[in-house]
Amino acid sequence: MSTEALLSVNNLTASVDEKTILHHVDLSVSAGETHVLMGPNGAGKSTMGHVIMGDPVYTVNEGTISFDGADITDLSCDKRSRAGLFLSFQAPVEIPGVPLSSFLRASIAGRPGLEMRGKEFRRRVKELAAQLDMDTAYLNRELGVGFSGGEKKKVEMLQLLLLQPKLAILDETDSGLDVDALSVVSRGMDAYRASCDGSLVIITHNTRILEHLTVDRVHVMVDGRIVREDDASLIPWIDEHGFESFEREAADAAAAR
Amino acid sequence: MAKQRTEVADIDRSLYDFKDSEEGFERLDAGLTPEIVTEISQRKDEPDWMLEFRLKSLEIYHRMPNPTWGPSIAGLDMDHIVTYVKPNTDQKADWDSVPDDIKNTFERLGIPEAERSYLAGVGAQYDSELVYHNMQDTASKMGIVYSGIEEALHEPRWEALIREKFMTLIPPTDHKFAALHGAVWSGGSFVYVPKGVKLDFPLQSYFRLNAAGAGQFEHTLIIVEDDADLHFIEGCSAPKYNVANLHAGAVELFVGKRAHLRYSTIENWSKNMYNLNTKRARCDEEGEIEWISGSFGSHVGYLYPMSVLAGRKSKSSFTGITFAGAGQNLDTGCKVVLGAPETTATVETKGISKGGGIQTFRSSIVATPAAEGSAATVSCQSLMLDDESRSDTIPSMDIRAKNVDIGHEATIGRIGDDKIFYLMSRGISEEEARTMIVNGFANPVSKELPLEYAVEMNNLIKLEMEGAIG
Amino acid sequence: METLNVKHASAMPAPTWSWLRMNDTTIEIPCDLARDGSVTVEADEALTETHASFERALVELQERLDAVRGDAADERACVRAAQRTEEHLDDLDTPALSAYQRRATLEEVACDVAAAFETGVHVDVRSYLNFLAGSTAVLATEEGEDAAATVRVAGCAGSAAGASVDVVAAPRSTVDLVISLDGDADGRDAAGLIGSELRVFAGADARVNVTVYITADASFTVIDDAGYVLDEGARVNVRHIVLGGGRTYTGLASDLRGDTARMDIDTRYLASGAEQRDFNYVIRHRGKKTISNMDANGVLTGTSKKVLRGTIDLIHGCKGSEGSERETVLLANRGVDNKTVPTILCDEDDVAGNHGATIGHVRPEQLFYLGCRGLSQEAAEALFVTAKLEDAALGAPDEQIRANVVRLGSALVDDFADFEEEIA
Repeated sequence: MSTEALLSVNNLTASVDEKTILHHVDLSVSAGETHVLMGPNGAGKSTMGHVIMGDPVYTVNEGTISFDGADITDLSCDKRSRAGLFLSFQAPVEIPGVPLSSFLRASIAGRPGLEMRGKEFRRRVKELAAQLDMDTAYLNRELGVGFSGGEKKKVEMLQLLLLQPKLAILDETDSGLDVDALSVVSRGMDAYRASCDGSLVIITHNTRILEHLTVDRVHVMVDGRIVREDDASLIPWIDEHGFESFEREAADAAAAR
Repeated sequence: MAKQRTEVADIDRSLYDFKDSEEGFERLDAGLTPEIVTEISQRKDEPDWMLEFRLKSLEIYHRMPNPTWGPSIAGLDMDHIVTYVKPNTDQKADWDSVPDDIKNTFERLGIPEAERSYLAGVGAQYDSELVYHNMQDTASKMGIVYSGIEEALHEPRWEALIREKFMTLIPPTDHKFAALHGAVWSGGSFVYVPKGVKLDFPLQSYFRLNAAGAGQFEHTLIIVEDDADLHFIEGCSAPKYNVANLHAGAVELFVGKRAHLRYSTIENWSKNMYNLNTKRARCDEEGEIEWISGSFGSHVGYLYPMSVLAGRKSKSSFTGITFAGAGQNLDTGCKVVLGAPETTATVETKGISKGGGIQTFRSSIVATPAAEGSAATVSCQSLMLDDESRSDTIPSMDIRAKNVDIGHEATIGRIGDDKIFYLMSRGISEEEARTMIVNGFANPVSKELPLEYAVEMNNLIKLEMEGAIG
Repeated sequence: METLNVKHASAMPAPTWSWLRMNDTTIEIPCDLARDGSVTVEADEALTETHASFERALVELQERLDAVRGDAADERACVRAAQRTEEHLDDLDTPALSAYQRRATLEEVACDVAAAFETGVHVDVRSYLNFLAGSTAVLATEEGEDAAATVRVAGCAGSAAGASVDVVAAPRSTVDLVISLDGDADGRDAAGLIGSELRVFAGADARVNVTVYITADASFTVIDDAGYVLDEGARVNVRHIVLGGGRTYTGLASDLRGDTARMDIDTRYLASGAEQRDFNYVIRHRGKKTISNMDANGVLTGTSKKVLRGTIDLIHGCKGSEGSERETVLLANRGVDNKTVPTILCDEDDVAGNHGATIGHVRPEQLFYLGCRGLSQEAAEALFVTAKLEDAALGAPDEQIRANVVRLGSALVDDFADFEEEIA
C-alpha cells in the first residue's frame, strides 16, 4: 500500500434538505487498490458516491475530499470527472434526442490523451462494445431511452473503459438482483483493472459481485457512519452473518450519544 | 342572532339619481357621456385629478373594442351602459324583486333568514355593520387603515398615496372594461398595512361592502408595506344578487419587500351577471402574493388575477376553482409575469363543468429576460360531469430568460366509473358518490379557505351537484 | 423588399389574449422571387397510375357517415346557443358562447367532412403553394398495397419553389412518404422560399408514415402545410425534423373522423442565429376511441424565436378518445424567445386529454450525469445542439437528405464533418 492516498475523504458530513445523511465519514483509497463499501439498505452508501462526485443535490457541511493531491471539495462534478474520478450509475439518465455516440464524443472532447478524431473514435468505441458484448446499433440510439437493464449497465461500463479514470466508484447497490447486469459489471471491472490499473470503490450490499475480485479493504456503513473497516476477510463473515450485529452496535452507539 | 331590519335598506339613492340632469336626454343618447361621468365625480366631491382620470378613461373606453377571444357579451346592452352605471334608478330594490332561485339557494345553503336580504343586496344588516366596525377598530390600533376608498380619498393623508397608486397596475388602457371601471368606479376598500405590521386575522370586505351598500364598479386598493403581513377576504359563497348585471370591479394589490399578502375570494354572482373583474398584484423583493379564488355563479365570467413579480425572489401562488353549471360560460385563470431574477410562481386550478355549462382555463406565464433563475409550474385539471358541457384549457407561456424552469401539466376527463362503482359498492348513492368525488377534487382550494368559507363552498358544490341552483 | 403578407396564418382555433402575440402569425412572401427551383417526386409506379382523388375519398367518407347518422334533434345548450340569432338575458339557461365555441358547435352539427377540411397554415398559403407547384401529384395505393415516395424541393437563392401532393391511401394499404425541403443558399444572401402542400386521406386501417426534413439555410422562408383526414382504424405517423430555415412555418391539421383512428406526431427542431420557428398543430378528435400524441423536442440558441401552438380538440361524440401533447424545450442562450400554447378543447366527457411542457435548461439529474462524464453546463448545452443535428443525420431516410443535414451541421457546428465518417 502506498503512503499517499489517491482519494482521501476526511471527516465528511453531508446533508440534503437540511437532513444530515453522512456523519464524519473518513475513507482513504490508494492508487491501484480495490475497496468495497458495504452496508444495509438506506445506510447512505449511494449518497457517499454522489457526494464524492459532487452531486449538487447534497450539501457538504463539514470535512474535505482530496483527490490526486488536490482538494476537490468545492469543484463542480465535470471538473472532478476531468481530474480522473468516475461514478457509475445504476442506470444512465435518459436524455431523449441525444444519441449515445454524440454523448460519448462530448465526454472525451478536450481530455488530453483521450480525444480522438472520427475514425479513431469509432474504432475504439466498437472495440469496447465488442469487449462488453454490446450491439453497436445502440450507439445510434438516444441515451438511456428504452434500454434494458443489461444494456444500461453496458453503457456505464463502456464509459468506464473509454474514460479510463484514475478511480472509479461503481454504485452497484441493485446489481445483485440481475444476473445479466452482474456479469456485465464483472467483465467491465476486469477490463478496467487490466487496462489501466485504476482504483476501484465498489458500493454494494451483495457480495456476489465481489467473487472474482481481489479486495484490499472493506468499509461497512450504517446510518451514515463508517462503523467498521477491515481486510477482505470481512466479506465471507458478512456473507454469513449479514449486517445485523453492525446495526445493533450502531443503535447502541446512537442511544449512548 | 342580531336583530333583523325588516325594512328595505335606505341606500342613498340620491347619489345615483340623475333624473333632473338627464331630462329629455336619455331618449336621445343613452350612452355614457362626459357629463354623466363628471356628475358622478362631483357627487362624490372628488379631487380634480380623479375627475380628469375618469374623463380620460371614458375616452379610452369609447375607443377600445370588446374582447374577441372570450365568451360573448352581446347580451349586455352596452348602448344603455348608463343603466349599469346607476343601477338603482329605475329598478325596485326590494325583496320581492329577488329571483326565486336565489331565495331558494339561501334557504338550501342554510343561511338564516335574517341575512338573506342583505346578501341579496337589498338590505343592510346590523350584524354586518357591527363586525365591520369591530375589525376596523382592532386593525387601526395596529396602525392599519381599513376603510372605504372614497372616504380615504377625502383624507389628505391618503389622497396622495391613492393618487400615486390608483390604476397604475390596471391602467385604463388595459382593456375596455378596465377603462369603463376607470370612468365610473364607485365604492370599494382601501387597506394600508404599515411596515412590519402583521395582522393575525383576516380582513373581510364582505362585511364592509354589505355595511356600506355593495356596488358593481368597486375599487379595492391594498398596500402592504415592507415586512408586513395581511390576509384579505373578498366575497362569500352565497350568491350576490344585483339588479344590474354588469360587474366590472378592480383590485390593485401592492406587496412590499418581504411582505406577504393572501387574497381570498369566492365570487358567486347571481346567474344574470356578466362578471368582468380585473385583479392584479405587484410584488417587490421577496414579497409574496397568494391568490385563493373560487368562481361560481355569473352568466359570463372573465377573471384572471395577475401577479407581477417585479422584485428579486418574489413569489406568487394561485389556487383556484371554477364551477360552471347550466347557462354559464366562465372564462377564468391567471396571469403571471416573472420580471426579476429567482422569482417563483405556482398555479393550481380545478375546473368543473356540468349541465351544458362552459368552463375555460386561460393563463399566461411570461418570463422577461430579467427572470434568470426563475421557476414556474402550472397545473390544471378539468372535470367533465356530463357530455353536454364543455371545458377548454388555453394556457400560454412566453419564456425569454435563460436558466429558468417552466413546467406545465394539464389533464381533462370525467369521474372514473371505477371510483363511482367502488363508493356505491360501499352503500353510497350515486349522487352522493359524485358529490363526494367532486368535493375531493375541489379540496386543494377549500383547504386554503377559512373553515366557514370552506364549509359554505362545499355546500355550494353540493347544491350545484343536485342541480338545485337554477 | 416588397412582400405579400398572409395574415392570421397558422392560427390556433381558440384564440387567447392578443397582447401575447401567439394567436397566429403573418407570413411575408417576397414578391420578386422567380418561380424556380427543383421539385422532384420519386414514387413507386403503382402510386402514380391512379384515378383516385382526395375529393372523391372525402365524398365517399361523407356518404358512409351520413348513412349511419341519426336524425334526432340536438337539444344541447351549446347548440341552442350557437343557432340563436340574438342573445337575451332572459334566457339564462343558454350559455353565451365565444366566437370560437359558436363556430365549433356549428361545424360539429353540420358534420360536413369537406367543409371542415383544413390545413395547418392557411388557405391562402395553400393556394400560393399550389400555384408554385403548378400541379398536384396524386399518390394513391390500391387496397392492401405498400408503397413509398420521396418528394424533394430544392430551393435556390432568389427563387420560390413548392410541391403539392395528395395522398390517398386505400384501406389496409401502407404509404411511406418522405418530404425534403432543402434550400442551399450557396453563399448568396438573396432570399428564397420553399414549401410543400400536402393533403392526406388515410383509408380504413391504412398506415401512412410521413417524414419531413427541413434543412434550408437561413436566407430561406419555408412553409410546410398539411391537412389529414383519417378513416376508421387509420394510423398516421408524422415526423417533423426542422433544423434550418430563417423563417419556417409548419402547420398540420388532422381530422380523426373514423373510429379508432390514431395520429402520432414527433417533432424535433433546432433554431439558431436569428431564425424563427412557427408550429401549428390542430388535432380534431371526432371518431370514437381515437388517439393522438404530439411530442415536440427542441433546442433554441442564438437569438432565435419559436412559437408552438398545439391544439387537441375533443369534439362531442368522440367517446373514449385520448389526446396528449408534450413539449420539451431547451433554451441554450440568453436572448431566445420561446412561446408555447398547448390547448385542449373538450366537448365530451368520456375522454382523456393531457398536456405537459418543460421549458428551460437541462434537467438537474441530466446535468449531474453529464457532469460526472466531464461536461460543464455550457458543454452540455452544446451537446444538445450537436445531438439534434447528429440525431437527424442518423435518422435521415436517405443519403441525399443526410448530406443536406451534414451541410447544415457543418455550417453550425465545428468538426461536424467529422461525424460524416461515423455513420455506417
